[in-house]
Amino acid sequence: MKNKILHFNDIIYLACIWASGISVLVMSLIVPWGIFTRYVLGTGSPWPEPVAVMLMVVFTFFGASAAYRARAHIAVAMVTERLPKKLQRPLASVIDLLMLIVALFTLVYGTKLCLETMNQVIGQLPWMPVGVTYLPVPLGGLTTLIFVLEHMIFGEQGNRSVVTFDHEKKEEVV
Amino acid sequence: MDAFVLLGSFLVLILMGMPVAYAMGLSALIGGWWIDIPPDAIMIAIAGGVNKFSLLAIPFFVLAGAIMAEGGMAHRLVAFAGVLVGFVRGGLSIVNILASTFFGAISGSSMADTASIGSVLIPEMEKKGYPRDFATAVTISGSVQAILIPPSHNAVIYSLAAGGSVSIAALFLAGVLPGLLLGLTLAIMCLFIAKKRDFPKGRAIPMKEALKIVVDALWGLMTIFIILGGILSGVFTATESAAVAVLWAFSVTMFVYRDYKWRELPKLVHRTVKTLAIVMILIGFAASFGYIMTLMQIPQQITGVFTSISNDKYVVLLMINILLLLLGTMMDMAPLILIMTPILLPIVTGLGVDPVHFGMIMMLNLAMGLITPPVGGVLFVGAAVAKLPIETVVKALYPFFIALFAVLMAVTYIPGISLWLPNLLLK
Repeated sequence: MKNKILHFNDIIYLACIWASGISVLVMSLIVPWGIFTRYVLGTGSPWPEPVAVMLMVVFTFFGASAAYRARAHIAVAMVTERLPKKLQRPLASVIDLLMLIVALFTLVYGTKLCLETMNQVIGQLPWMPVGVTYLPVPLGGLTTLIFVLEHMIFGEQGNRSVVTFDHEKKEEVV
Repeated sequence: MDAFVLLGSFLVLILMGMPVAYAMGLSALIGGWWIDIPPDAIMIAIAGGVNKFSLLAIPFFVLAGAIMAEGGMAHRLVAFAGVLVGFVRGGLSIVNILASTFFGAISGSSMADTASIGSVLIPEMEKKGYPRDFATAVTISGSVQAILIPPSHNAVIYSLAAGGSVSIAALFLAGVLPGLLLGLTLAIMCLFIAKKRDFPKGRAIPMKEALKIVVDALWGLMTIFIILGGILSGVFTATESAAVAVLWAFSVTMFVYRDYKWRELPKLVHRTVKTLAIVMILIGFAASFGYIMTLMQIPQQITGVFTSISNDKYVVLLMINILLLLLGTMMDMAPLILIMTPILLPIVTGLGVDPVHFGMIMMLNLAMGLITPPVGGVLFVGAAVAKLPIETVVKALYPFFIALFAVLMAVTYIPGISLWLPNLLLK
């Protein structure tokens, strides 16, 4: 059972990473495309800007939740490192609880934000409801929530092979 | 009391070890609850915080730098610097500084600088007879240039934190001279140390070989000309120039240099996505934190505290420098820029300091925080690359800290170092 859940979370993790990675790549292609249409085709496209911003929202929220599982976020360990082991454990549980609150907040209020902005559209993209562009907020909140629960129940998962797959091999650069 | 609830809860949360981004979000919620702001408004601030076109410059610059750094740019820049300054006494230490100057022109990350230049030069310097701790200290202090010399994604974060009123182009130009001054100061210091400790001379490179090395490096260094040229001529915006830099970096790495393997690309993307998302989510949550801070009028209160101590520009700047140096030793750059800019900028602009100039003070100051204990990302990376204990590296860094501090004072009290170039080219 435990392995099944962890394996399922691996899939969510990879989905987050790929969604963010592809967003970054597409972003880097469509912004130059916008310049190309402006100078070479002389027409100028209205869509690359808002679409790139949309993709940025995708990679920010999915990427951040993946980074949470990978324990990559910036945190201050100066104080906690110096505490006795006996205190470190309960403190980590408190942090988990607080993370749970933030993830829940992002999920619930992100959903509310999406629903409330479903009737608005972006100026340059008349077919795109603003609410849809905010979807990564609650979804990223949901995946963060899953990873926080995972951390509370099964402990540290930052060393799983899917998570460390990108770590550089310890080789000297020639 | 309002300030105490917001800033106090934030401080407690980060000291407990909560990731800084989420701690900002949670303390914004707590502060919002205290002054009766509904969570809905905080969510709007967060979503709005990451929903800006100008923000895109940050992922693009970081990505371009990462591609260059991992695509074999470091040893080319080292070779290029070797052609220019390698033949003098203590040559390799000057090469190290100059290679970081070049590296700064393709990437704004001193962490990447230390990791890639250090892994090439620290072993080589040791082989030629330099002590390893000295080589590491040179690498680490030289990498501070990357933050100042354009393109710098931290300058983009500052521009954003300043409410978008400070142009990225001005900040980029402003960083050139302070960056070069820093490099020059470190190089002169290395020359003295080299003479005193009798470090070896390098060899002069024959013309034909030198030419090949220069051409090879220029492909990568073109990035900075594309970025600055594009922005200054008005051909593209800062954000667009960053996207073009990504395409350029990618093309040069994959089609000109060709020592990066295609199958390694997913790893690079995977790694960069994590780095980027951490910064972007920080920006999002910082927006909510800043929103509550503004509603509580915290910047005005802090300005009041500062000006009650002194109304003298120079004294206030000194106090701010000390404050930032202290904070910088404990925390990373991006969160500090996001939190401190809205608080400090009104104080200094009220005293007549140019926001572009203040940006440079902040960049240099917080960059120094990256190489000082107890928490210094660049220091840790440098020590890890050199496989030395952190204490040993810190000891070797002492003379360099003094040099850096001298440059910080020069940049703080001589506005012209920062403002001359942007005034010349933008007005």
